[in-house]
Amino acid sequence: MTATQGARILIVDDEPQIRKLLKVTLQAHQFEIHECADGEEAVIQASIVHPDLIVLDLGLPGISGMDVLQRIREWSQVPVIVLTAKDREEDKIAALDGGADDYVTKPFGMGELVARIRVALRHVAKTTDEPVLRFGPLKIDLAQRQVDLDGSPVKLTPTEYEMLKVLATHAGKIITQRQLLQQVWGGHHHESDSHYLRVYVGHLRKKLQEDPTRPRFIQTEPGIGYRFLLQD
Amino acid sequence: MSERNKGEDVWLKLNRIPKYIWVTLGITLLTILLHVIGISDDLVNVGLIYLFPVLISAVYWGMGPAIYAASLSVVAFDFFFVPPYLSFTVEDLRYIFSFVVYLAVAVLTASLAGRLRQQLEVVKQREATTNSLYALSRQMTAVTDLHTLLGNIARQVSMTLGASAALYLPNVQGELQVTSSSKDSDSTSWGEGEAEVAIARWVYKHGEIAGRGSSSLRESAGLYVPLRTEDQIHGVLAVNLESSDLQEQREELRLLEACGGLAASAIARVKLAEEARIAQVTAESERIRTALLDSVSHELRTPLTAIIGSATGLLENDSLFAPEDRKELTGNIRDGALRMNRLVTNLLGMVKLESGMLQLRRKWCDVGDMIGIVLSQVQQFIQHRRIRVELPDQPSFVSGDEVLLEQVLVNVISNAIKYSPEDSEIVITVKVDDLHGRMTIVVADTGVGIPEADRERVFEKFYRSESSRHVTGTGLGLAICRGIVEVHGGTITAEPNPGGGTRVCICLPIEEPEASFTYMGQGEEE
Repeated sequence: MTATQGARILIVDDEPQIRKLLKVTLQAHQFEIHECADGEEAVIQASIVHPDLIVLDLGLPGISGMDVLQRIREWSQVPVIVLTAKDREEDKIAALDGGADDYVTKPFGMGELVARIRVALRHVAKTTDEPVLRFGPLKIDLAQRQVDLDGSPVKLTPTEYEMLKVLATHAGKIITQRQLLQQVWGGHHHESDSHYLRVYVGHLRKKLQEDPTRPRFIQTEPGIGYRFLLQD
Repeated sequence: MSERNKGEDVWLKLNRIPKYIWVTLGITLLTILLHVIGISDDLVNVGLIYLFPVLISAVYWGMGPAIYAASLSVVAFDFFFVPPYLSFTVEDLRYIFSFVVYLAVAVLTASLAGRLRQQLEVVKQREATTNSLYALSRQMTAVTDLHTLLGNIARQVSMTLGASAALYLPNVQGELQVTSSSKDSDSTSWGEGEAEVAIARWVYKHGEIAGRGSSSLRESAGLYVPLRTEDQIHGVLAVNLESSDLQEQREELRLLEACGGLAASAIARVKLAEEARIAQVTAESERIRTALLDSVSHELRTPLTAIIGSATGLLENDSLFAPEDRKELTGNIRDGALRMNRLVTNLLGMVKLESGMLQLRRKWCDVGDMIGIVLSQVQQFIQHRRIRVELPDQPSFVSGDEVLLEQVLVNVISNAIKYSPEDSEIVITVKVDDLHGRMTIVVADTGVGIPEADRERVFEKFYRSESSRHVTGTGLGLAICRGIVEVHGGTITAEPNPGGGTRVCICLPIEEPEASFTYMGQGEEE
């Protein structure tokens, strides 16, 4: 994991205890840590420090985490992992649709957060166009529009292929239902259209020989969307 | 006969004119008919035939018309049939005697028939009264809501008596108010006027009947009856009577008294039921508060003790611990915190459910997918238990709030894990019954099982079965499950597993996904 080591991480959280916890643990994982306690400062720090990744708490005094995210997104594509104590899906969806790359809910396990940070950092490193994506036994040839599983081709409908492509090119990241609907079907979508997604994901999983109760490739994020699992 | 009754007779006579015309017409026709058939010389038969109109009038119209018919037929008999014809004079004076006898017989028969008729009418009216009282009592026993009950009483009473009715009940301050009246759509209903309320207050205070037809305040338009049970007056029932017939008034008074008695007992019943319910709720909330305090203090303190103990141990005696000990202590801290987190989540869930903050966000949920998510959530405490999932071949969808349904499954499956031995198998079966539009998710374990007596109670808040006291928990999980499943219109039950252990069945209604949408697996171009 050398690509992610030494990366600069900006921690935005108003709770000193959480900041301390994050700082100690993440430094132990060889990250360079910057921290700040409120939104205004976070925006300034983001532009001065040029962090490789931001861990952002949504509930901040002064301007809210959502506003911070919005201001940063105006000029930067730095990965942002949202840290939130709100467990309502609409808050998470709003953050993800607003440009966050991932979210972690409080209370969280440190291992999970570090894994998410690594995925987000790696994703940035991986955005160079690769014509062939490989995930364990699964090979997706973007140039040929060809999907192979264990060496034999998988027959997908155009919609299923599009879905798989969108998910796989954002491997490790959450794609919200709205983002997926927009990228595959285009146009505006209502929340109730998520039934389409479920049906198509169901069939896609079947073709990828996935057991829905133990997904290998496509993981459902309840109420939010889907995540293509990185094969480690 | 009183002055009033005489006047009434006159009025009745006026009312009966058509009947007298009918009688006159009938006798005229009969006379003509007798002449036409030509039996006019057989005086005995003619006399007998003339009894017919008398009897018919007696049976159908009562005394008055019958006597009239008798007189008229004597006159007609004399005039047309007794020689000399077309004259009132008689040839033979013995005929006078015959007329008298005829009249006497006619009048006697008529009066008998008339009385029978009157009795029949009285009986009919009694039957109607009994019927309406019966209907009223039947309606009252079925209703448990006071407001609906009062509305029903007012409507039924006004229907029975054919007059508008109003019910007065004391409000919170003990002041009598109109609570229900038989409203005719938009017009202001009777009984809300100042005078009416004042009389009602008087009746309420003195507990006596007042108004038209009674002994006090007889000049007022309404009749007011106190709603009295043995020891208490609950309110006042009033009707706006219009009849002036004393007999009818008496009848109405009796009926109203009966209605009042019924209404009073019904109101008393509802009030008592309400009091019993409040008492039960109070006792229940008291019990829950105690249970909450007990359980929360125990459930929160236990992991806190573990966390504080382990953390202070680590801080103060760091050098004493070997790496494994340190790992164990930090593991303790994590487990304690996780346990507290579960407890807080459950408590918050219960609060949401109880306060009605829970709003379903229904979506189509793939049950297989949901089970997958749940299994990944419980993965960390499955240990050596095997979980087998049996899904239908086709992906099955249910309309519901997936996050809440997942919470139900997490709770049920965690319970199955908690109460079953290591190395046992837990089977999750999903069955779709398209015919009845139902989906059943069964979670079966081979654990300790739930005693028959507790099978329903385990779904109550803070209830812990005696047999499971040794396992940690608050008794909130299944209560939350039931709350959530019921919000979805489903049921959750526990039953014994044929192979030992427990089966929890979650039954949810399914509807067809929008008919317009079908998966185009084959139709799409490759």
